[in-house]
Amino acid sequence: MELTWGLMIVIYLFAAGLSAGAMITSNLSYLYGGQDFQRVSRVGALITPFPISLGLGVLVLDLGSPFNFYQLFLTLELSSPMSYGSWLILIFSIFSIINFYLWLPKKFQIVGQTLQLEKGKKLLAKIMPFLSVGVASYTGLLLNAAVRPIWNAPLLPILFLVSAFSTGVAAVILIATLSPWERARHKELHVLTMADVGLIILECLLILFIIVMGRFSSDSESVAFGSLLYGHYAWIFWLLIVGFGLMLPLLLEFMELKNKIPVKWTWPVTISSSFLVIFGGFFVRYIITYAGQTSSWF
Amino acid sequence: MTIRMGFVIITSRCIDCDACMVACRSENDVPLGHTRNWVKSSGVQGQFPKVSERFQPGNCMHCDNPPCVKVCPTGASQKRPDGIVIVENKKCIGCKYCLTACPYDARFSNPETGKADKCTLCLHRLEQGLEPACVQTCLGKSRQAGDLNDPDSIVSKLIAQYPTRILLKNVGTGPNIYYIDEAVPEIPEGK
Ligand code: SF4
Ligand code: SF4
Ligand code: SF4
Repeated sequence: MELTWGLMIVIYLFAAGLSAGAMITSNLSYLYGGQDFQRVSRVGALITPFPISLGLGVLVLDLGSPFNFYQLFLTLELSSPMSYGSWLILIFSIFSIINFYLWLPKKFQIVGQTLQLEKGKKLLAKIMPFLSVGVASYTGLLLNAAVRPIWNAPLLPILFLVSAFSTGVAAVILIATLSPWERARHKELHVLTMADVGLIILECLLILFIIVMGRFSSDSESVAFGSLLYGHYAWIFWLLIVGFGLMLPLLLEFMELKNKIPVKWTWPVTISSSFLVIFGGFFVRYIITYAGQTSSWF
Repeated sequence: MTIRMGFVIITSRCIDCDACMVACRSENDVPLGHTRNWVKSSGVQGQFPKVSERFQPGNCMHCDNPPCVKVCPTGASQKRPDGIVIVENKKCIGCKYCLTACPYDARFSNPETGKADKCTLCLHRLEQGLEPACVQTCLGKSRQAGDLNDPDSIVSKLIAQYPTRILLKNVGTGPNIYYIDEAVPEIPEGK
């Protein structure tokens, strides 16, 4: 098949995951870290609405009949991930904007009393993790349902979920490090980096499982995965994903955790490692979206 | 019994004249650069001097278990009670999900309408009691369409008489184009 879903869809899948990941990072930091993790919780809450809005924007632009998109919200088709996913993302986006407001510095909060707002924060922090898991794994279910080689990998929703959290944590680290205001403390970053290391290792294992399972399934699937390992997409897979997106940031983050990085280098290293994680996460979506379409059944 | 519309395509009778593609294009105003039906070549098979080439015409298979319908988020893609799979343009948002889900690449995005487009089994002609345009035009009578559940139809008679195969059985779509590769000297009479 020629490419039906191009870069716009890749951006959408990636952005939805990024927002979901940043949201859950913020929620969990707030619920379990409390006052000590105020900064990263806030950074997470403040960045969440943006990627997903961008993703939705490009998605609508990619439609053949963009002005017809309201048709999505006149029905709920339970067999179509795009249908329930759209509802999910709609609710997630609305809540993420409310959450954004709740985390704004006090002087910008024109409506609502502080006490109420704090209650709202708590409530959302408890609801949003579920919605985030939904949004992040839905992007995998979306591809699953189209039953193409690679797209039908049963672990795809889990891979997208883990990758979403990994990029979300990395985005929070990146912005919290770059931000001139309320820059995150060492302890906060340390815990997030630890979480990210765990997620990257998990992601590597998932990719390994998916590929092994694919190589041992039907011939069509085996050939399709071959295009990642030694075919058309091999350089993206090995260099951009495995090398720059997984191994290098894993190594850097590991050294950060072991305090092996000289002080004057910590800032650039934190920034590059988190950037690389986000970069790798983008190409995970890219390669799966594309390679699934350039392969077909035979 | 319910109606189950589908095709029988006799590859041994196809000479790759592509008249079905031309007929479909003019009947259904299919924009240039896209097509609702096709004729694929097997390439040259065998060793000289015993070489052969088989032509395999196709279009939407109006599957029993159509993934395109399953994934459609708005209900625009539908399977009618008579088995014909259609797109209701009014509801289609052009998300192209159905294009990715069809294992036969039978759909395309119509640049003029912005909607998913595909073979309708010439529903508008069937309603007037006519054959689909591609069937009517087919020089070698390779293409036949009709009710697969009606034992008196041409398609059912052919299926009863000759061995058939379907494409990508393993994917589980239950396609309703039955291919006959054997020589069929005479097309049976029927509906
Ligand atoms: S051939 Fe493709 S478009 Fe036609 S019914 Fe089957 S899956 Fe749908
Ligand atoms: S392109 Fe139209 S028919 Fe196809 S899945 Fe999207 S809304 Fe349904
Ligand atoms: S039945 Fe009609 S729409 Fe379908 S391929 Fe033939 S001519 Fe085209």
